[in-house]
Amino acid sequence: MASVVHPVREGIRGPNIASADVQLPAVRDYEQVDRDIIATLGFTKKWFMGLSAAVLAMLIGASAWVYQIYWGLGQAGYEPPVMWGNFIITFVFWVGIGHAGTLISAILYLFRAGFRTSIYRAAEAMTVFAVMTAGLFPIIHIGRPWKFFWLLPYPNWRLLFPNFKSPLVWDVFAISTYLTISTTFLYIGLIPDIAVLRDQETNPMRKRILAILSLGWRNSDREWRHFAKAYLFLAAFSTPLVLSVHSVVSFDFAMALTPGWHASIFPPYFVAGAIFSGFAMVWTIAIPMRKWFKLEHYITLNHLDATAKVVLFTSMVVGCAYLIEFFIAWYSGVRAEQEFFWNRVFGQWWWAAWIMLLCNMALPMSLWSQKLRRNPTWLFVLSLFINLGMWFERFVIVVPSLSHEFEPWQWGSYAPSWVDMAFLVGSFGWFFMWFLLFVKQLPVMAIAELKEIVAPRVKHGHGGGHH
Amino acid sequence: MSTEAGTGVKRREFLKILGATGATTAVVGCSSEKVGKLIPYVASPDNTVPGVSQYYATTCRECATACGVMAEVRDGRPIKLDGNPDHPMSRGAICSTGLSAVQGLYNPDRYRSPMVREGNALKPTTWDKAYELLAQKIGEVKSRSQASSAVFINQHESGTFPGFLDQWLSAQGMPAHLSVDALAPMQTIAANQRAYGASWPALDFNAAKLVISFGADFLDGWGHSVPQQLGWADARAKLEGAPRLVYVGARRSLTGLNADQWIAAKPGSEMEICAALTGAGTMAAAAEASGVPVATLEALAKAVTAAGNGVLAICGLTTANAVECGVMVADINKKAGAVGTTIKPAAGHAGYNNLASYADLAGAVSSMAAGSVPIAFVRGANPAHTMPKAAGFAAAFAKVPFKVAFTSMPDETAQLCDLILPDNHWLESWGDAVTVQGQIGMQQPTLEPVFDTKATADVLIALAKKDQALAARYTAADYRGWLISQFPGGSAAFTTALTKATISGSPLAGTAARTLTATPSAPAAGAGDYFVHVYPSPTLGDGRGANKPWLQELPDPVTKIAWQSWVEVHPTTFKKLALVEGQHLTVETAAGKITAPVYRYMGVRPDTVAIALGQGHAAYGRFAQNVGINAYDLLASSWDAAGALTLSGTKGKVTVSAETSQLVTTEGSARQHGRGIGQAMTLAALLGQEAEEGGHAEHDIPGAPSQDFKAGLKSPIAADAQGEYANPNGKDTGMYAPDHSSKMERRRWAMTIDLARCTGCSACVTACYSENNIPTVGASYQGRALSPTTWDERPGANIIKGREMAWIRLERYYEGNENTENEFSPDFDTRFVPMMCQHCGNAPCEPVCPVYATYHSPDGLNVQVYNRCVGTRYCSNNCPYKVRYFNWFGYGEPERKQYAWPEPMHWALNPDVTVRGKGVMEKCTFCVQRIREAEHRAKALGRDVQPDEFTTACSQACPSRAIVFGDAADENWTVAKLAYDRRAYHVFEELNTYTAVVYLKKVNYPAPASPAQA
Repeated sequence: MASVVHPVREGIRGPNIASADVQLPAVRDYEQVDRDIIATLGFTKKWFMGLSAAVLAMLIGASAWVYQIYWGLGQAGYEPPVMWGNFIITFVFWVGIGHAGTLISAILYLFRAGFRTSIYRAAEAMTVFAVMTAGLFPIIHIGRPWKFFWLLPYPNWRLLFPNFKSPLVWDVFAISTYLTISTTFLYIGLIPDIAVLRDQETNPMRKRILAILSLGWRNSDREWRHFAKAYLFLAAFSTPLVLSVHSVVSFDFAMALTPGWHASIFPPYFVAGAIFSGFAMVWTIAIPMRKWFKLEHYITLNHLDATAKVVLFTSMVVGCAYLIEFFIAWYSGVRAEQEFFWNRVFGQWWWAAWIMLLCNMALPMSLWSQKLRRNPTWLFVLSLFINLGMWFERFVIVVPSLSHEFEPWQWGSYAPSWVDMAFLVGSFGWFFMWFLLFVKQLPVMAIAELKEIVAPRVKHGHGGGHH
Repeated sequence: MSTEAGTGVKRREFLKILGATGATTAVVGCSSEKVGKLIPYVASPDNTVPGVSQYYATTCRECATACGVMAEVRDGRPIKLDGNPDHPMSRGAICSTGLSAVQGLYNPDRYRSPMVREGNALKPTTWDKAYELLAQKIGEVKSRSQASSAVFINQHESGTFPGFLDQWLSAQGMPAHLSVDALAPMQTIAANQRAYGASWPALDFNAAKLVISFGADFLDGWGHSVPQQLGWADARAKLEGAPRLVYVGARRSLTGLNADQWIAAKPGSEMEICAALTGAGTMAAAAEASGVPVATLEALAKAVTAAGNGVLAICGLTTANAVECGVMVADINKKAGAVGTTIKPAAGHAGYNNLASYADLAGAVSSMAAGSVPIAFVRGANPAHTMPKAAGFAAAFAKVPFKVAFTSMPDETAQLCDLILPDNHWLESWGDAVTVQGQIGMQQPTLEPVFDTKATADVLIALAKKDQALAARYTAADYRGWLISQFPGGSAAFTTALTKATISGSPLAGTAARTLTATPSAPAAGAGDYFVHVYPSPTLGDGRGANKPWLQELPDPVTKIAWQSWVEVHPTTFKKLALVEGQHLTVETAAGKITAPVYRYMGVRPDTVAIALGQGHAAYGRFAQNVGINAYDLLASSWDAAGALTLSGTKGKVTVSAETSQLVTTEGSARQHGRGIGQAMTLAALLGQEAEEGGHAEHDIPGAPSQDFKAGLKSPIAADAQGEYANPNGKDTGMYAPDHSSKMERRRWAMTIDLARCTGCSACVTACYSENNIPTVGASYQGRALSPTTWDERPGANIIKGREMAWIRLERYYEGNENTENEFSPDFDTRFVPMMCQHCGNAPCEPVCPVYATYHSPDGLNVQVYNRCVGTRYCSNNCPYKVRYFNWFGYGEPERKQYAWPEPMHWALNPDVTVRGKGVMEKCTFCVQRIREAEHRAKALGRDVQPDEFTTACSQACPSRAIVFGDAADENWTVAKLAYDRRAYHVFEELNTYTAVVYLKKVNYPAPASPAQA
């Protein structure tokens, strides 16, 4: 095991997030990459404890679901006219988190942003699991979840199809497409790494499974050519999805005429917010991971610095969107809108709006300081604030809008119940259960790609492979 | 059929085999099971068709008014009550209380058999044993010659039964019964008897120009609600020349909120105002006593003079001086020459003629307390609840050796009795009632008794038959037979009479007419800073409505609180006492105290606290028990010159408790925030005499309103599966175009709601519950889990969570008086807006549903398909009117805790309407079942649906005839004409929803600028 060597500060310029020249000075050779990454796969007691906690949390959510299906949605905290609540908030929250992965792996790939190499696998896995988590919530949220398949266009003798005018149907397509593509993308990227694992594996059963999963990868030049083409294609294919998924999710709100929802700024605003929250979640996961798995010389401070700049940028986009919403409410002259936005910051939900503004607009401004951008502890703390802030952003969008609509007689309130909380806890359990299982089965970093940026030793002259 | 001959198995044979196999299977499968009644008929009467309703004309006995009703009977069971359109008094209208009678009939907590006291508990027994016991006890009483001291307390009713009962009692040597009614306005009756010589003169609002109501809540339940409301609404609908209403009283009741002016006089001081108006007193003295500015009173005096004989002054006060005040109020009418014009003693209601006063009842109680009453009978009345604690009823009653109840609900009084002989519900009984002078309404059973109960009259006959001395006097088999034997014209005439709403005549057995008079008891000593104003609840009355979940769930028309008691204080008082929302207030008088959450109400004087009667039951079934407080506890057992209990005007202390509870209210914001939901205009504006201050200026949400809202009714139809006609600028007029070639319907079902008529009484709400199987959600067993082990068992817990299911709701908005926290002002305007699904032509709910569970029907309905709904609730989010309701729990699933119709209440479910399961959205359907029924009927008869042939449940019930339903695309329907009224508007027109509901602006009559307008 190599000792951790901190990368040399690159002066005021810092790493350029658009350049491909982020190097790993502390990594000596390809064998070390194999060793270090495969070392993360060993089971540990702490891991088991973490997994147990995640499974327990997941079971809390699952039993709450059984309970809720038996009794009805009344056990959740819904309070008409607030017909959407915690479940939709948490749905949008997880979909948002599911954005950063594909952004990092696809868009940054196309832009040849070198800093993506170390973090993209973890981010991609995070994406897949976050979308899997998010996808549960619309089903949990509906009154008759056992009829969920009616939202799918399947042939039936009644000739009933879903209503393609409904943004919820768009959601079904957007999310299922996104899940399919990001899973495929994750898997394709994994193939050379699975081959590495296969070659190292001694257990015949596991070796067999890995052999199948690696699709017989032999590390040949021809395979690499095909792989690169496929990877590029999928990256290009996923790129519009990154923008479209959260745009479509935002249509759930923007297409309605509810004051506070009915705004054309929603798609870019949601996409920016999603990237913002996704990067925050990458920090929440990657910062402890690099420490626990001793990957500090792979996810370097330069990497964190680069991601911090993305966060800073998206924070400003989101903040700008917040302010534009207020401007438009005033500018539109629509009294219901104006009253709503006044109510948003000074009315019954003022605290939620101010949590959102503080966490998403104010605190990320600290990232103007390079010192703080390179302080993993601060970034971790900030990531928690951003996660909280982004959950509250969705709360502010969903709940106050619905509680303060056109009809004053039906103005209301909302308070989540213990069932809602169980689902929130359960969603984190479900997500981390998958993630924890993933990190011990498959490499959390792209071994092959890391090797591309490690300077080859002259003796072993051929590119990027293991023996 | 001949065409089927030749096929392998003949249809009849097939059915025979099917029947035989089915029966065998059933017999084998069920042989060990107890046989249940699956359908009410094994062999049905000849004229019944399964699935088709029959209508029986009968008479409502929920209050003394005795309106004519039609019981809709389906397969042997009444499922709904409608007004009888042929009835001269109620004219097809019905109130919430009347509609809820079926929930009294099918109440799960009724006595299911005779009960007898064994030790501390009542145990079921058989009728034979019960008869034997009662005969033995009566025999004992007679043998001790104590029969003349017996007491029979009957819930007041008019008709033959009281006379029949008195005959029976006198045959037993017992004195005449006491006909008591805690809700009867005895003060008014006594004053009427003194001033006009009639207990209830007819009120002709139509002839009136100025109505002055001294606490006479003629829209709340004072007197005869339905006919009064019909008369009032018709008079107001004239618009020009409509009567102006001035309300004098310490609290603005529902009637007060309908008034054009409120004169907030101190309780008890109204008489000074009367005196000033009649000239018996001075304006200054009146102003001093009542706390009303002199100018206001002088303006009122001027208005009275200007109205000439168009004055209608009525008094419904319940203060200690109410009778004297009532007589003086009559003087206003007499002085104006209005007697015979606006108030007609010769034509009034005769239903109060044999009423016993509270003082009479108190006298009986003191005899009981003295131990001189050997046997007491109670039927229907509930003095244990409706007499103040101070009257000591329970203790006195306990001293009676043997107490018999004929009551069918286990109420507080019945629970004290030794023998229960449960009476039939009036829907199970024969009878008659006096309505207008000289008219009789017949009452006939509409089903076999639900439980093992018997009509009291039948029980009395059966008892008499067992007594050899009496048997000869009762030869008829039962009360029906007795009625026929006395009926002029006998059986044939009787049968004919049953088909009529009313017949001319008088009761077949008379009672001695009573005049309400008594020596007033010593006025209750009271001390404290506040006047205590106790009033009967418009929904629950004196408490008799509390066992019916429809009435519990119906928000109070004024405060919009359900399933709860509350104390009303003025916002300035609220501020002065530094209260928080829902904080508990203890109100204490010399007689007792109550504690209930506070409700801020700007319609009550700052020096007055108001509390409604109706709640606080210790018994009376699962829906009534443990809900709220009984405001009778605050009252001293003191009566006035009419012998009536004094409800209002005693002094009391108010103390603040640290406790709070959430108000069970359906009110979000009481202000419209300029959104133009309930719009109004002045009469002058309507007549073009002044600029309209309302109109679009009041409607502050800019946007692109439809160019012509009539097009909203006529042309565009949903941008949905049916076509592309939603574009307001499109040239295609869609399915209504004469040359439109598609196979769509040409109708556009629509509704107009005249806010100048609507009084906010909320009968439409109850009618909708009854017609559309809407679950009530407020019972204490229907709450949600607060944690895995604890449940929210507060009554109304679901309503606190905003989960009430009323498809139609009465919004009550205030206008004006914004500074009410800081100063008292009686001037504010109230807008009552019935709000239900607007059946938008361009409905926001439709495109967002992912599964087409809500879509547009070809005839313009916004349809909700429960079976298709998956429950995303997006439709509700996108509905600007917020009229969609979600089934949060399995209210319609008998196996769930929250089931809304515990057996046998589900017998009243309308078989034409689906009972919704949990997880689906529901909303107003414009009574689509009635539309289809009418269409099918027309088709079967080979004709078209006739204009105004049928209507929705809300419109049918509406006692102010504010709601009109029909086809807006066909100008022969009334609704098509009304939609073109110049007062017409759509709510949120600027959202381009093209609603099918057209509101007609309320018309206000502000204090007259010139005497001509008074």
